[in-house]
Amino acid sequence: MTRATVNRKLAIIARRRALPRWGGAAVTCAFVLAALPALAAGKPDLSGFWNLAGGVPKDKVLLDKLPPNTVVLEDTGAAEFPAGEYGGLKVKAHALEAAKRWNPRDDMKLSNACKPPSIVYAMQGPFPIEIFQATELIVIKLEYFDLVRIVFMDGRPHPGADYPLSKVGFSTGRWEGDTLVVETTHLEPATITNNGLTHSDRVRVIERFRLSADGNTLMATQEFEDPEVLDNRGARFIAWKRQPGEHVYPYECDPTFALEYQKD
Amino acid sequence: MRFSGLMRAMRACVAAAVLGAGALLTAPAQAHHSFAVFFDSQKSVTLTGVVTQFHFVNPHGLIRLNVKTPEGKTEEWKVETNSPSVLRRRGWTPQSLTVGETITIEGWPARDGSKYARLRSAKRANGEQVGKPFTPEG
Repeated sequence: MTRATVNRKLAIIARRRALPRWGGAAVTCAFVLAALPALAAGKPDLSGFWNLAGGVPKDKVLLDKLPPNTVVLEDTGAAEFPAGEYGGLKVKAHALEAAKRWNPRDDMKLSNACKPPSIVYAMQGPFPIEIFQATELIVIKLEYFDLVRIVFMDGRPHPGADYPLSKVGFSTGRWEGDTLVVETTHLEPATITNNGLTHSDRVRVIERFRLSADGNTLMATQEFEDPEVLDNRGARFIAWKRQPGEHVYPYECDPTFALEYQKD
Repeated sequence: MRFSGLMRAMRACVAAAVLGAGALLTAPAQAHHSFAVFFDSQKSVTLTGVVTQFHFVNPHGLIRLNVKTPEGKTEEWKVETNSPSVLRRRGWTPQSLTVGETITIEGWPARDGSKYARLRSAKRANGEQVGKPFTPEG
């Protein structure tokens, strides 16, 4: 709902004078608070189109929030680890064995070519995101594989173990000062580093998002712990630049591309 | 050493050259499958040939190219592109290449030695760049 629409509706309420003077004021206040974006509640507005940006210095405020025993992976965006390199993650023996058995050609089977990674890998991928922000939920739309995340901001708890898993999981968020903190669980197993290392469904992800002083750079840390796979935590620093007027494109993955990898 | 005679007389040919130092982990923006595993970012390949197919779909586009070797043989090469979503923001469209036109492509060769490469940049016969080439910043 645009501000103009809100103003029109408020004018209608005022003209009708159907409510007592102070009752009308209360309705007006409630209406405005519910309808206006998060700025009305004094929170930073992360709405907009954000394109992944390299070369942004890591934000110390965010890095200082990372818990002990966390390694920051240096593979954000275009960078990529070769086979057998996991950037300092302490991988449990059974997970390491599984990673060593990884055959990259399996990724390019017809049945696998359009399987998206989970948000653990997808958020740092070289694709833009678009954020739609309201007071009780925030939607993060990724261009990569058309993934859409809903971050519930209404204080609801995470669901139980029988809740279905997905590549975007179940996310709740809260504001800590100017920082949006998002916790995600119920993630379907998927790659961590795109080279055979896979997280389990017990992975838990904490993301912290904050704007640069000029509001044109969105910075985040994404930390993850997985007691099934890792003996330490991993994290990535990710930054995006605001591009007004742009929108996320449809991805519409076509698996027949994988046929190119089945031939000579 | 890189072949430089590709544009000379529009004679199709193919060359691969080992590049100098580069950031070990820096690879072109990729989608889903591992670039580092399938392609060698420390080498480059330059191909001039006639487009026989241009497929503009995610997760990767594909250009088929008939390339003439210096010996006069015709080889079919396949050149994988970035995600078309990414290419669109670099000025590419599904109509950027026409079947039958001659183009010169620079890219990274497949590690397995097959006639398969990953696109870095493409130029038309008149030297015009198709879209914007890949940069480490994306």
